[in-house]
Formats: sequence, C-alpha cells, structure tokens
Amino acid sequence: MSERDLATRLHLPTLGVTAVIVAGWSLLSWRYGAYVLPSPLSVVRGVGEILLVGFGGAVVIALLTGLASFLSPRARSVVHDFLAVLNATSVFVWIVISIIWFGLSNWAPIFTTFMITLPVVASNIVEGVENVDRRLLEMGDVYRLSGREKFRAIVIPSTLPYLVAGMKVGFGLALKVSVVAEIFGVTSGIGYIMNYSREILATQMVFVWALVMILVMMVTDKLVFDSLSRRLARWR
Amino acid sequence: MAMKLQVVGVGKDYLIPVIERVSFSVEAGEFVCLLGPNGCGKTTLLRIIGGLEPATRGTVLLDDRPVVAGDAHSRKVGVVFQEDRLLPWMTLAENVALVLKPLGLPAAERRAIARRHLGLAGLAGFEDYYPGRTSGGMRQRAAIARALAIEPDVLLMDEPFGALDAQNRRIMQNEVRRIWKETRRTILFVTHSIEEAVAIGTTLIMMSARPSRLRETIRNDGRIERAKLIDDLNTMIMEEVERQQGGAPS
Ligand SMILES: Nc1ncnc2c1ncn2[C@@H]1O[C@H](COP(=O)(O)OP(=O)(O)OP(=O)(O)O)[C@@H](O)[C@H]1O
Ligand SMILES: [Mg+2]
Repeated sequence: MSERDLATRLHLPTLGVTAVIVAGWSLLSWRYGAYVLPSPLSVVRGVGEILLVGFGGAVVIALLTGLASFLSPRARSVVHDFLAVLNATSVFVWIVISIIWFGLSNWAPIFTTFMITLPVVASNIVEGVENVDRRLLEMGDVYRLSGREKFRAIVIPSTLPYLVAGMKVGFGLALKVSVVAEIFGVTSGIGYIMNYSREILATQMVFVWALVMILVMMVTDKLVFDSLSRRLARWR
Repeated sequence: MAMKLQVVGVGKDYLIPVIERVSFSVEAGEFVCLLGPNGCGKTTLLRIIGGLEPATRGTVLLDDRPVVAGDAHSRKVGVVFQEDRLLPWMTLAENVALVLKPLGLPAAERRAIARRHLGLAGLAGFEDYYPGRTSGGMRQRAAIARALAIEPDVLLMDEPFGALDAQNRRIMQNEVRRIWKETRRTILFVTHSIEEAVAIGTTLIMMSARPSRLRETIRNDGRIERAKLIDDLNTMIMEEVERQQGGAPS
C-alpha cells in the first residue's frame, strides 16, 4: 500500500483538524475553568461512558435477539412485536421514566440511550437474519453442515452488513439522544453544559458544542464505520 | 462409491397433483438424463430424491436404504442447482473445503481435496478467487467441483447449465461427461434440452405432462441413430406439451 493510500485511508487531514480543535479546546478550558468549559478528556469520559454502556448494551442485546430469531420462528414474531412497540415510543417517555427510576445519576442517560438505540440496532439485525438466502441454507443442508457451521459460514457473514448499518445509525442516534437526556436531571455532560450555557446566555457556547458533536459524529462515521463496511465488502 | 438409485411409485401433490406416480431404477455408475415438458415436476422429483422435499407417496431407495426428507445424515448426495449457490464471501477453495467439514477431515486435507477437485473442473489457478470475480461458467464449474469433492453416492444436477451461453454449455457438457468417465459416479441430470440429453446421458428418461408419469425410458448406447433419437424425443415432448396445455387446467 502506498503512503498516500494510507494517508487517505486514515483521513489524516480530518485527524489534523480534530487535533487542532482539541488542543484549542483544552487551552480554553484551562483558561476559563471547567465550569464554563470542561476539558475534552472529562467530556469524552462522560459521553464515552454513556455510549459504552448504553449503546454497547443495546448492541449486545440486539445480537442476542438476532440469535433468538434465527433459532426460533416463534421468538422472531415476539421480537418483532416488541421492537415495533419500542420503535413507537418517544425519547421523552424514556427520559421521564429514567429520571423517576435513576434520579440524577449517570444511569438515567445511559438507560435512555439504551432504550432508544436497542430497537434500531435490533431491527437491523433481525432483518438481516430474515434476509439470509434460504437457498444457501438449503445448500448447507444438502452438504450436511451442522447448525453451528451453517451459522458461522452462512448466517453471520450475510448478517454482518446489516449489523454495521444498524450500528452506524444507532451510534448517531445514541450520541444525539444522550445529549438530550443530559439536559434533564444530570449535572454533567454536554447536554447539561449546553442547557447551562443557554441559561447564562452564553449562546456562542451552545454553537461550539453543537459543532463539537457534529465533528465527533463525522469522525467516528468515517474512521470506524466506513472502514468497517469497506472491510466487509472485501469480496465484492 | 457410486450407489444404485431406485424410485418406487413416487408421487407428489401440491395444490394440484404434480407427479402422479413415477418408478425407475438407475444402476450404480449410470448417467441418467431426465427430460419432460416445463412444469411437469422434474425439479420436484430431483428434490425428493435429494431428500429436500417429502414425497406424497412412494419411496426413494439408495442402495436399498430409503431416503428420508430432512434427515441428511444417512447419505452422501451432491446437488448442483440451477444457480451456483456458492458463498460469495468465501473463495472457491474455501467454498469447496467447507462441505468437506462434516466428513471429519483435517483442515490440510480439506484444502488439498478442494484444490484437486477445482483442478479437475478446470479451475486450477483460480482457487483463491472470490465467486464474484469469476465468470458464470467458472462458478458453475466450482459448484460441480464442490458436489464431486464429497465423493457423492449420487450426483443430482438440475439444469446446471441453464444460465450459460451455448458455447460454455457445450464446453461444460464435455467436462461433465469427462468427469463422469473418470469418477463413474451415479448421475441424475435434469435438462430440457434434448440435444444435451442425447449428447451426455447413458439413459434418457422422458416424463409425461402433469400429473406426470414415465413416458419413455431409452438406453442411449448408440444403437439408435442419434438424429433419429433426437427426432423421436422431440415428437414426444411436443405431444406432452400439447397434452399439458389442452388437458387439465393448471
Ligand atoms: N413449493 C411448491 N408449492 C406449490 N407448488 C409447487 C411447489 N414447487 C413446485 N410446484 C408446482 O409443481 C409443478 C412442477 O414444478 P417443477 O419445478 O418440479 O417443474 P419442472 O419440471 O422442474 O419445470 P421446469 O421445466 O420449468 O423447470 C409446477 O406446476 C409448480 O407450480
Ligand atoms: Mg425445474
């Protein structure tokens, strides 16, 4: 692979701009104090925790529902109904419930993020499992492949693109929802800061944070999901 | 080891009766071509023989042991479908090696067997290609190599060259004939091309219009002149097509 290839693959220009922004941000945070502008590290830690636990948990549960709906048609119809209900439930319902259940703790936005991203990721995986080519499975039967072998060689590879697509959408949603959830109740995180900035009429800070979020979104999209889908499509 | 195949009074009803009652017997190592008008149940019969579909009546015997639909563990049947049914995310060699797993062979041996059969099918040098990067003819060859790699007791082929152009079709017919001569598998080959059947089969079975029975079984051992045989079979199939269109509503 040539050097230029590697550079574009890693999106070096994007990374450079990001580094500059992070550096400037750290400087400002240090200059104005953590109350007005928390350091990048603490924000990343806060958001990271919500995404890791809330979104990560949703992905794990979604994988399990996918497995269940592969193994049993009855489980599949149950999963379908539950996902329909979850899909129809507003973010606000989960925010209110999470505050009632978890109060001002960090678990509130984690729970909200989990409940909102679960149906998105799970619907995708279940759709992927349903779209596995029946003719390929029949081929597996002809050659007496075991259930495990069919799952490994046929079901997983044909479902992976759906999983990546679901995670991509789910991740964007998680990022947006976690911020909304933080506006209510929690005393830290980007959402809290944006709300606080609004109250003290620091409108420019609201925009700064909006930009930061957009940037984070775009960078992960390019770095993580694009390269992931490219790797999956190697054989195309 | 090639196996003797017996079809005993096999019939199949879907919403309408498709196969009324068909019986025939294929000696081990024969190359049988199954002919018949469109929709007379050739694919259905092949699927019943392969254990992919239960028969409504009758039984299929492989070396005198009945084939039970859905229970794949008593037989070694290779099937080549009209489509190649290769896994697009695996290379040709991986595709072939995959079906050797249930035979309990170690990985190195699986790879060696896969390469050997791909070579036999004229695919030497393409073992590490993904199916999407090869031509339709090459994919169908790989599917045939996969079916042969398990050393099947019976090899079932359902219009395997339907998607190929005339040129590739001719080449593949010769290939299959050559592979059959070298391996002496029992082959059941469905086709709607009479020329193809006469060119490659040792026994030709003509099915009647739906609900189908056996119309004719012909030994293709060169005693009947080829041109006359093709003529006769063409006349038969025209009669059956007319019967099917004029007869019972479908
Ligand atoms: N799963 C099914 N359910 C209901 N009817 C079926 C099913 N499979 C096949 N049939 C019917 O059985 C009949 C025979 O179908 P089959 O595919 O076996 O014919 P064929 O001889 O292979 O035809 P062709 O020459 O077009 O390949 C058709 O009328 C078809 O509609
Ligand atoms: Mg057919």
